[in-house]
Amino acid sequence: MADVNKMESHTSSPAKLLSYADKDQTLMTVLQYLRENNLEETAAVLRKEAKLSDSNLPAPTTQSQSSSAVSHALAAYKSSDDPSIYDDVYSDLKAFIDSCLDVHKVELSTILYPVFIHMYLELIYNNHGQHAFQFFQRFSRDQEKYHEPDLARLAAVQRREHMENDQMMETFKSSRFVIRMSRDSYTHLKRHLQERHMTLLINMIQEHLFIDVFDGVPRNQDQIQATSGALLGDAEKEANKAKVFYGLLKEPDLNVPLEDEDEGEGDGDGTGKPKKKKAKKDPLLMKKSKNDPNAPQPTRIPLPELKDQDKIEKISAFREALKRDKLNAEHLPSICFYTFLNTSQGVTCVDFADDSSMLAVGLQNSNIRVWSLVPKKLRSMKSAMELEIIDKEADDVLERMMDDRSATEFKILTGHCGPVYAVSFSPDRSNLISASQDGTVRLWNLVTWTNIVCYKGHIYPVWDVKFSPHGHYFASGGQDRTGRLWSVDHYQPVRFFVGHLSDVDCVQFHPNSNYVATGSSDRTIRLWDVLSGNCVRIMTGHKGAIHCMSFSSDGKYLASGGVDHLVIVWDISNGTAVAHLTAHTGIVYTLCFSRDGTLLATGGMDNSVRLWDLARVMEEQDPEADSNMPSSLNVNSNPALLLGTYYTKSTPVLGLHFTRRNLLMGCGPLAMQS
Amino acid sequence: MFSDKMASNAKSTPRDAQVMAAILKDMGVVEFEPRLINQMLEFAYRYVTDILDDAKVYSQHANKKNLDTEDVKLAVQCRTDQSFTNPPVRDMLQEIARQKNSQPLPAIKPYGGPRLLPDRYCLTAINFRLKSAKKPVSQPRIQFGLPSQQRISLASSGKGIVKNIGGSGGQSLTMVPKAGGVSGAVSAGQVTIISKPVVATPKPTIRINTGQTAGIGASGLAQMVTQSATPSSSFPSASSLLSSGVLSSATSLPASSVLPPSTSGPTISFNPLKRKAEDDDYDA
Repeated sequence: MADVNKMESHTSSPAKLLSYADKDQTLMTVLQYLRENNLEETAAVLRKEAKLSDSNLPAPTTQSQSSSAVSHALAAYKSSDDPSIYDDVYSDLKAFIDSCLDVHKVELSTILYPVFIHMYLELIYNNHGQHAFQFFQRFSRDQEKYHEPDLARLAAVQRREHMENDQMMETFKSSRFVIRMSRDSYTHLKRHLQERHMTLLINMIQEHLFIDVFDGVPRNQDQIQATSGALLGDAEKEANKAKVFYGLLKEPDLNVPLEDEDEGEGDGDGTGKPKKKKAKKDPLLMKKSKNDPNAPQPTRIPLPELKDQDKIEKISAFREALKRDKLNAEHLPSICFYTFLNTSQGVTCVDFADDSSMLAVGLQNSNIRVWSLVPKKLRSMKSAMELEIIDKEADDVLERMMDDRSATEFKILTGHCGPVYAVSFSPDRSNLISASQDGTVRLWNLVTWTNIVCYKGHIYPVWDVKFSPHGHYFASGGQDRTGRLWSVDHYQPVRFFVGHLSDVDCVQFHPNSNYVATGSSDRTIRLWDVLSGNCVRIMTGHKGAIHCMSFSSDGKYLASGGVDHLVIVWDISNGTAVAHLTAHTGIVYTLCFSRDGTLLATGGMDNSVRLWDLARVMEEQDPEADSNMPSSLNVNSNPALLLGTYYTKSTPVLGLHFTRRNLLMGCGPLAMQS
Repeated sequence: MFSDKMASNAKSTPRDAQVMAAILKDMGVVEFEPRLINQMLEFAYRYVTDILDDAKVYSQHANKKNLDTEDVKLAVQCRTDQSFTNPPVRDMLQEIARQKNSQPLPAIKPYGGPRLLPDRYCLTAINFRLKSAKKPVSQPRIQFGLPSQQRISLASSGKGIVKNIGGSGGQSLTMVPKAGGVSGAVSAGQVTIISKPVVATPKPTIRINTGQTAGIGASGLAQMVTQSATPSSSFPSASSLLSSGVLSSATSLPASSVLPPSTSGPTISFNPLKRKAEDDDYDA
């Protein structure tokens, strides 16, 4: 008797500490302890007193590794059953982190958010709805502000059944949250957890978190903030290790007849000595054709060969480029802005042709309108009857085949069944591709102004589509979380880019057409290799969905903008952020690099176009920074990078485009005052 | 601002609408059009009735007297699979991606012109079929003899002429002047009637607008392209082709239709502006 009493008093203290509600459970555990310590006699007495039958005894747990058998036995039962310890464990973790050295504190505090999520999910999973609710109420306010949308979604999940159907829950349960931590902080944390025998936390961390440990100095608050924000934490070190060929493709050798009769400028005797001038200008071309170690082989992916038409186009583009305005911080571009009237409810997307001659607009009523921005009107091809009689061998057959009677300022293309969310011109301006909410991507021919092909693959709304800079390929991204690469002459995609955890909101080709960048609602940007379909870069740092991306003309940098009003410039070679441009007060919907890569223009819902000094960003970039050391990440967020802000009256900016001569063109729908 | 309005009308809005507004507020939606509450109410009502209807069917099928929670659960599950589908699961996507990405990128055929998919996948294909006419006619017909290997086809606007591919051999065209008021004039003219034996394949019905009735729309305007010259002369355009042919043979015929020689029977009441039959608008 006395023994039993002593036993009970001994075990009552841990019971009180851990606030057991269920008395039977306590007894079970006590019995378990007694059996483990070979106190069979006492156990029998206890059993008799408590009137427990033998069958109620659970099998003894055979794996007890921790030092104290009591706590282990207790914890083994509690980890999935007693909801009240979650609160305590979480508060304890918080207290521990607060007590750490400052150096470790910021790094370790990144662990609180995933722990919070998974504790909440475990409580829901084990049907402790009430406790889960209280837990959520108590600790959700401590989380970072940019996690609010995710937490709102989490709050809607209140039962186990809800968990099964929700996409986001599936992501949390199946993938692991990635946290990058320095080795010192990690050992600190591990030691603490083991000292306190918090098996609950240890198990949770092992299952749901992936702590990517790096050797080095712990990161400071700014650096952590710079890369946090993605749905499942930061990018792992391994994710950004692959080599990316970010250089431009070798330009084909074109015999550029530089001095023509219609070249008004240039020396008077230029026409007399064309050969000499050509030799002088050649070094410009020669520079590009030197072997760039960072450039992919021209045959790495099959690209269409240049037709005569394309060569002529290239030559004229080159000539235009020579007349280009040189932009820098002192010499800003002029901005020419097109405003759409009477379509404020309807305009969803815009695209400018590369030579700035046409503007395509996708509308919510499923139409596409194409305007001509030059005095020359849009004409369609003659009918079949009339085409028969023209002379096909004539030099200007391409002119003769157009029907001048059909020349209009704009043309309407009808065919989609839902709002058109993206339009993109092909580089030779003969085709237009459009993506819509009806899940299809349609190819339109701009000579006959008819719909040629309907690509069905995404069944869910397609949010973005873009033609490759070399034509023939186009990429699309939609709600089904995939990006797809299509070829114009295949009715099925040729590549699938699978990996994003949420909708793919925007896609963009690299200037060398070998890589496709996709931005998603899971707040990461992924760079995919067209050849293999693998993801070669994951870039985190945005705190909201990403809406627009653009590569610099030399292919080394990628700029992205999104819902968090932030524009981030990334260095593709190592996948790190180079600059955070903060000044916009609304969602950033469009951005465009100037043709020489010195300026970046961004525009968005705050009715403004802003110009940023990219030349300075590239200058100020630290060349000695070691990309392997996360702690050496230095993100430029100098407010002086903003060179100018230009407001429209009440027109959100939906599209920006630098012409070949560096004139900035913008467009947007007039927003009605509500 | 709409949510403020809702709050001020709190007493006057029905309870369900208040519940909807509370849901929106809980989910963090701050601004919304007032129509949204109505839409949500409609959706909720429709969803619940659908589920209960389905559940009733299931419980009857299981020979139960009353509705059960299990029936409702089954109904909910079936509906979710049907209407509220989620995008494919990541594992499946990864599998597809792995398969597809392992294939090399397809090579590009050189000198392809506008590189397009086979016609089957493009939208440029002809999406109509010429229909055989079942209308019997008994007037004297003018044999408009054309050599075999002749096929009349309709050309779509601007997409390419479907040139005459040889139809069933021995096909011939006949023109039947419309009866009715002008029968007198017709019978005054020539009367060659030759009925060729009919081949079983459906013969084309071609409606030719001689240009005087502009009622038939542009799409219905048959441009007849003939490969070989007809007996009359060279024809710059379709309408003039037949108008010259027609006018040379008959007097004022507002419209004529070309029918295969095999039919015979009661005449059709003649009104050039009226649709000839219920399916005359479409040729397929």
